[in-house]
Amino acid sequence: MIKRTLHFSNPAYLSLHQNQLAIDLPHLKSLGEKESKKSIPIEDIGIIILDNQQITITHGCIAALLDNNAAIITCNQSRHPTGMMLPIDGHNTQSERFRYQIDASQPLKKQLWQQTVQAKILNQAAVLFNRNIACENMVYWAKSVRSGDPDNYEGRAAAYYWKNVFPKKLDFFRGREGDPPNNLLNYGYAILRAIVARGLVCSGLLPTLGIHHRNKYNAYCLADDIMEPYRPYVDEIVLGIIDRGENFLELGTSIKTQLLGIATVDVQFEKSTSPLMVGLQSTTSSLAKCYEGTIRRITYPIMTNFDNKRGSTYKDKEVLKSILINEITESGFTKPEDELPF
Amino acid sequence: MRLNEYRILWILVFFDLPTETKKERSVAAKFRKEVLRDGFAMFQFSIYLRHCSSRENADVHIKRVKKLLPEKGHVGIMTVTDKQFGMMELFYGKKEKELPDTPQQLELF
Repeated sequence: MIKRTLHFSNPAYLSLHQNQLAIDLPHLKSLGEKESKKSIPIEDIGIIILDNQQITITHGCIAALLDNNAAIITCNQSRHPTGMMLPIDGHNTQSERFRYQIDASQPLKKQLWQQTVQAKILNQAAVLFNRNIACENMVYWAKSVRSGDPDNYEGRAAAYYWKNVFPKKLDFFRGREGDPPNNLLNYGYAILRAIVARGLVCSGLLPTLGIHHRNKYNAYCLADDIMEPYRPYVDEIVLGIIDRGENFLELGTSIKTQLLGIATVDVQFEKSTSPLMVGLQSTTSSLAKCYEGTIRRITYPIMTNFDNKRGSTYKDKEVLKSILINEITESGFTKPEDELPF
Repeated sequence: MRLNEYRILWILVFFDLPTETKKERSVAAKFRKEVLRDGFAMFQFSIYLRHCSSRENADVHIKRVKKLLPEKGHVGIMTVTDKQFGMMELFYGKKEKELPDTPQQLELF
């Protein structure tokens, strides 16, 4: 089920009343109780973003939110997400799942990473395709990714992708501390990361133990792994903002609203379409099953709605689209060097 | 769109519970409180409503209300789509009033 996202950018008192999140907004007090006091069922909340230094939240409230598997995100003075709070026990067979995850063999992890990189490159290719930018090489790279991506096709694809995806006049250089629109990307990714981490916890996995990322300072390695194929969805939102010519030098409310809308973006799987937040649950639960050894593929979304907006006029586009679709459904564990771990 | 006014449901719970004896009053108060705890908000005296983002979600809450039903008294449970709910005309005295806002998936405070 799709849960609600609450974003607090004004002073607020948050407390618990009858299992409901009671919100008191002092800056609206002059408008009367109806405006300044709200109540939201805790069980409907998925993500709560605290983006103001003058928010007071009670302990009962934090505990109830975590009990409900909600992610609490705090922001620093420059209004960027700094921290995340997640429940310790998000799943009933958690200990068993942790064990499977910790015991996962190296080949399995490498294969999972191969699938992740493939899905990511294909989705990046889809973004380029949408913008009429050549992406045949991306599709080729996606096809060539081997177990564990030893040839670093991910990096190669990313370099090409970032060089070409933004309009030429922007002179874009992707970097964490880089100039706008890097700030939009970072904001979107931070929210996406929170959604992914929440999904992982709900599926009884440790978001800390990654399959590829292993930075010892990173607390959310697995979230960073699993969110890779989802990043292009954020990129598309950011590109939309730039295309519409909005002022993206600062993170205004309109831009934040669009970026926070990432939770409801439609994602396509082989058989179904669902909002990103719901689709992510199937990705994380398939990952848990991969660790368990019951299935071999992670369910990643495929961006195949390429020509919905523009109408399919070009033959080569049709061909490319079919390649993209076949790629994702057929590739996988066929290469001889991949010893199956189970 | 996935979240639209035809999929979103509002559950209305209306009840008449006996309040003759002290015991009955406590039962009625408890029912009301439990309904509130489930996320319903008072619309009018003894009419409570809740916003549900999908049919499945609504089923969960209907089931919960059914579990809370007291021994005696009349309780009605009804669901309407957000579209139907939005067409309701609401008056305080003769003055027309706006309907309660539909909660959004994303809310900025």
